[in-house]
Amino acid sequence: MVRAGGISNAVNVGIAVQADWENREFISHISLNIRRLFDFLLQFEATTKTKLASLNEKLDSLERRLELLEVQVGTATANPSLFNT
Amino acid sequence: MEGERPRSENPAMTFDEVSMERSKSFVKALQELKNLRPQLYSAAEYCEKSYLHSEQKQMVLDNLKDYAVRALVNAVDHLGTVAYKLTDLLDQQTLEVTTTGVKISCINQQLLTCQTYIEKEGLRQQQLLAIIPRHHKHYVLPNSVSKKVHFSPHVQADTRQNHFQARSRLQPSASPASKTLSWHLSSETKPNIKGSISTLESSEESKSSGRSSAAFQLLDRDDSTVSKPSGTAYASSGIQPSSGGMQSFGVPRKEAVDGSKHLGGFRSFDNPRRDIVRTPVPFRSKSVLSAFFVKQKASRLSAGSVS
Repeated sequence: MVRAGGISNAVNVGIAVQADWENREFISHISLNIRRLFDFLLQFEATTKTKLASLNEKLDSLERRLELLEVQVGTATANPSLFNT
Repeated sequence: MEGERPRSENPAMTFDEVSMERSKSFVKALQELKNLRPQLYSAAEYCEKSYLHSEQKQMVLDNLKDYAVRALVNAVDHLGTVAYKLTDLLDQQTLEVTTTGVKISCINQQLLTCQTYIEKEGLRQQQLLAIIPRHHKHYVLPNSVSKKVHFSPHVQADTRQNHFQARSRLQPSASPASKTLSWHLSSETKPNIKGSISTLESSEESKSSGRSSAAFQLLDRDDSTVSKPSGTAYASSGIQPSSGGMQSFGVPRKEAVDGSKHLGGFRSFDNPRRDIVRTPVPFRSKSVLSAFFVKQKASRLSAGSVS
């Protein structure tokens, strides 16, 4: 009986260890995927920051060009005689 | 849905609606991703309490593993949706900015074209406004009252002939020597005429030999009637024939009493066909010249008709 209990205990320990290993493997898979998700988020943030920076730069240049055009058009509007032949 | 609206609507509004729809979907996806956090937190607390208080811990653990996997997949799905919508929105905004840049470049190009046109027009107007001096012939006679006569080369020979004929006819037959045609001419012009006037008229006359001869004949009549020293000019021209034979006949009619100065030749700017005639005109008294002219006129008449 004791010997059977010992065997059962050994089996239980074995099962427990196996389950523990499975759990650890499961946890490692989850952790790995979460880390990959985190890396994706970092890369996505860097890419989005670059795109936003370029967009901001383009908008700034457009704004400056628009201001220049506005001044030029205002000057031309103020002197309509220039366009009279 | 909204993009499926008919094209008859304002396309700008449709484009704006599509942009608005994209923005709304992005905001919605972001909101859903944000809502995942409290859901995951509540699910984690429930699993912890159920594992602690439940007797079937293995079943709770298995459920927890499944839920963790599904939650992770759901989170990745939401993150992917948000990332896709954000990238699409950024690309759309970049495209709009690029299109706006192209439109601004077009406006800039149009403005530069207008400026170039204005500059060219300004230059053209300035060039047109620039006064280009045209130096007509003029003569300075030393004996005159420093008057300068400008002869327009466009005056027809006939009119000029008539003019001089009239002028000669106006002279009384018994007028003194100082009132001859040549005298009048010399009084009006300076004596430094270099044959320009006479050559001009003579060159005009040379166009039709008949005219000159006829005018010459008329002048002969006038000279004979007047008996003025108008032959001074004639004589001067007759003595020293010009390079163009015809011009010499015209010279005496218009030639004033000059000093011993050579009549400089000239060329009309308007009529390049005129020949440059240089006839030195020695100074003579009017009576002597007129007499000399009477003698020379016949020879000059023949020579003029030939040329």
